[in-house]
Amino acid sequence: MHDYLIAVFAYIFLYTIVVVSFNLSFGFTGLVNLGHMAFFGLGAYTSALLTLHGTPWYAALLASGLAAGIFGAVIAAVTVRLKEDYFQIVTLGLAFIAIAVSRNWVSLTRGALGLPGIPDIIRNNLYYMLFLFAVALASVIILYWLTNSETGKIFQAIRDDETAAAILGKNTYAYKVLSITISTFFAGIAGSLFAHYINFIDPTIFDLEFFVIILAMLIVGGLASVSGSILGVILVSILLSAISFAFANISPQLIGAMRQMLLMLVLLLVLVYRPRGILGKVDV
Amino acid sequence: MPLFDILPQLMVNGLIAGSIYALAASGFALVYYVLKFQYFSHGAIMSIGAYLFFAFLNLKLNYVLSAALTVIGCVSAAMLSNWLLYKPLRKRKATPTVKMIGSIVLLIFTSALILAFFGSSTKTIPAKYNQTFDFGVFTITLIQVSIIIFAAALFLLLWFILKKTKLGKSMRALADNKDVAQIVGINPEKIYNYTFIIAAVFGAIGGMLLGLEQNLYPRMGVPIIIKGFISSVVGGLGSVPGSVAGGLFIGLAENIGVLYLPTGYKDVISFSVLLLFLLFRPHGIFGVKMRDA
Repeated sequence: MHDYLIAVFAYIFLYTIVVVSFNLSFGFTGLVNLGHMAFFGLGAYTSALLTLHGTPWYAALLASGLAAGIFGAVIAAVTVRLKEDYFQIVTLGLAFIAIAVSRNWVSLTRGALGLPGIPDIIRNNLYYMLFLFAVALASVIILYWLTNSETGKIFQAIRDDETAAAILGKNTYAYKVLSITISTFFAGIAGSLFAHYINFIDPTIFDLEFFVIILAMLIVGGLASVSGSILGVILVSILLSAISFAFANISPQLIGAMRQMLLMLVLLLVLVYRPRGILGKVDV
Repeated sequence: MPLFDILPQLMVNGLIAGSIYALAASGFALVYYVLKFQYFSHGAIMSIGAYLFFAFLNLKLNYVLSAALTVIGCVSAAMLSNWLLYKPLRKRKATPTVKMIGSIVLLIFTSALILAFFGSSTKTIPAKYNQTFDFGVFTITLIQVSIIIFAAALFLLLWFILKKTKLGKSMRALADNKDVAQIVGINPEKIYNYTFIIAAVFGAIGGMLLGLEQNLYPRMGVPIIIKGFISSVVGGLGSVPGSVAGGLFIGLAENIGVLYLPTGYKDVISFSVLLLFLLFRPHGIFGVKMRDA
């Protein structure tokens, strides 16, 4: 199989985990966690540091999910009681704090130099891509099952009318913390798999530029729809690849700028004219 | 080195950085105050200001003409963003979250646009008149003096507009209660447009001053508006004077913190201040308990 195609599929599977888990908090529960990628980055750094110090990958993978999930639970426990806009501010602030810490805690993260030489889980890219497919499939099945379970219905009830959910005797606080915890756990897992795929991470993993790609996938696909998120990931990935091919004869730096501009334009158009995305159940 | 030998210099540095942060924060806060959403694309306006100023000066136009054209360019960009993005979002009654996401997207779009036009290499605005004044305990350049003077003058102007003019009263009325403001005959769309224009003038001047003080690079709007955002949270979201105080507070904290931490930790200081405020005083220094109105 062509190397480029393998890479495209590998990224699609990675992003699927990130976007579907993002949809769990943002779309299904109505918690706009703007720091979702901070947990992805936390997972990536956790896994990178552990494996670079000799921990086997499966332990590091699990530790990444747990680290992100536990950290997410703590943040959620403190913040989900806040008003909606404060919750967004705190989670966005979290992303910025992650940048500052990863840049400046040089003895641990090597700062802006990043962490090179993160070991492969599977050396062969094709097999690793298939491994990513398996993990993504498992994650999607779990999250799909969760969103259709009673718990998932309660998440959506909280999103639509928290007071009503509370009157029905649901502990909305606990459910919101649970939603963020599960969502950030999967973000951490994806971060770990990402780090072992590209073998190098640096603080740019926390940048807004990366976050908006995930955001575009989520919103284009539509909120509160697992299949929508998968479709969003695929369509945005195809769009980005198509732009790269269409402008293949210009400088790589300009291609990067074109990709970013066109993707942002698409996202703006969806925000204004099609807030439900393609398969969304609720408006953004 | 004895503390009192370097403290004056650190405080002056803090005042300079704080003035720039306050310029970013005041435009951000003004839009938040009147339109109730986090206006991250103010960072885009500032980066456009810096790059337009650079481009006009490169065309050998003089400083005053370049500055005037830059302000016009930034105001046009802000009006365009209102017309093409924020107004349609208001029309479909989008939540503040959506407007904020839109503004972040616009910010990233602008840095890509600048990258496409100007390339990724850093640019420097040639400083023709930049002599350094030495006061013994501290030194300061002419550009830095003008940053502080411009910032102070603009804040007085903003205060005057908000408190003393009819436009300012309409803005405050809209901020307090949109429905009542409309009943007494205030046209919200018109006032919103003026709000974006005033914020853009601040953004243009802030961007030019920032461009004179540091290098230009395509995504320069992102870090500066993050600092503006932090300043306005620390000062109290929804409070325009608070955002100015927050900016100065962050600028001073970052620079005086250098006494205890390496220079690279400046960002860590401002983010730690942000975190402490979010946890213990989320309505900021000046802020009211927000967004009930």
